[in-house]
Amino acid sequence: MHTYLMLSADSPSGDAAPVPGDPTKPSGASRGRRQFALAGEAGLRRRLIARDEQALVELIDVASPWLLGITQGMLSDADEAREVVLETFATAWDRIGSMGDEHEALLPWLMRIARNRAIDRLRRRRRFRLKLARAEAAGELPPDQVGAVEVNEAAQPGWHVHRSVHAALDALPPDQREAVRLAYFQGLTHSEIAARLGIPMGTVKTRLRLAFDKLRTALAPIKDWIA
Amino acid sequence: MTAHSWYIENRVAFVARSLEPGEERTFQDHLVRCDDCSREVVRLERELSWLPMGAAPVAPPPGFARQIAGEILDRPSRWRRYLPLAAAAALALVSVGVSLQARGEGRELRDRLASRESRLAALEDTLSVLRRANMVLQTQISMNGHQQGGLLIFQDAVSHRWGVIVHGLPPAPAGRMYQFWFITETGMVRSVEVTADPRRPAFMTLPMPGVAAPVMGAALTMEPMGDGGTNEPRGVTLAHVTF
Repeated sequence: MHTYLMLSADSPSGDAAPVPGDPTKPSGASRGRRQFALAGEAGLRRRLIARDEQALVELIDVASPWLLGITQGMLSDADEAREVVLETFATAWDRIGSMGDEHEALLPWLMRIARNRAIDRLRRRRRFRLKLARAEAAGELPPDQVGAVEVNEAAQPGWHVHRSVHAALDALPPDQREAVRLAYFQGLTHSEIAARLGIPMGTVKTRLRLAFDKLRTALAPIKDWIA
Repeated sequence: MTAHSWYIENRVAFVARSLEPGEERTFQDHLVRCDDCSREVVRLERELSWLPMGAAPVAPPPGFARQIAGEILDRPSRWRRYLPLAAAAALALVSVGVSLQARGEGRELRDRLASRESRLAALEDTLSVLRRANMVLQTQISMNGHQQGGLLIFQDAVSHRWGVIVHGLPPAPAGRMYQFWFITETGMVRSVEVTADPRRPAFMTLPMPGVAAPVMGAALTMEPMGDGGTNEPRGVTLAHVTF
């Protein structure tokens, strides 16, 4: 489990093809990741705007684990999560030139697109509650991925951000953390959370408001996802 | 009307997308009008932008990045994606244009058809006079002692009309006109002016004059132009026929 670094870097086919005539371009996923880390996000963004297809491969390589993480957690469906991730990168590729705010980091932007699309899909699922209930009854609910940490994943770009966010979530009182998990990482609405937890909707709102206030403060120091 | 305090209270919930769908739409509508809430929502999105990274990463399958990039890059360009839509729109516009033009042309065709039908009806009516004629009279037209053509009269007793054909006449001299007359027991009755064309005969369908006296014959004269429409010929008689 969680061997994505080895799989993507050591894949026989390789995720990143060499760029003919340009020896400075990476010829494999690991080289691509190294160069990405060195060049930083600004360089990657410039290359994406210049329609550098290799830059797109590199972006997908470093960002897709995070996007798959949030979308699979919300959708409980690997195929649908892949579709959302594909849509997210396609949107990013189409709109990178008009992204506008240069101070907004690429990964949060991608995560917001992916999360919104996943929520849109959830809202379209009229049978979502039924599916969730079935999964719950069968013990197939996705694990609490907010707490899933493995040391060998520290090489993944953005891992330190994940640790910081995880620490901020851990610092919340359990009832607030659970409300955030259901609202933010499962895509449930106030009324759905109230029904799930068997508490009044006003209590849900209060818990979420208090939790998000704390999280805003806790996440403020995070400036970059590239260590 | 929802109080503004509700929007302030639910800004974070909107950013987190935990509002009910109806509430979310209400909030979106409000953002269009409220600069304060719009600014605050952008700020909250920024402050919470790292929160999704609380979800643990999931290992993609081997070759995932290449597959996804390939699917994105293999898409038709945006322009090409919209090409079918643009083509459909252009086709619709052309269709409308063609339709409008066709409607215009259709109207013109309908007018022409109506005109043709009217002319055809007139010809059929004339032909019916000739076919039903119970008497046909023929005489020569003479001008200055020379034969200049002929006059044919087809009498239709059913419709009480004459079919009259004048052929071989030169155009009337300046200041003159050709005039057709009915000859009745009580005198001459002015009928129509005959326009001569040497290339083709003049063809006329004439109702019987509205007089009690029976028609006995017909005459063609050359009258001075602007004679005031007198009831008696004053010019030269070119042809004359009686039953």
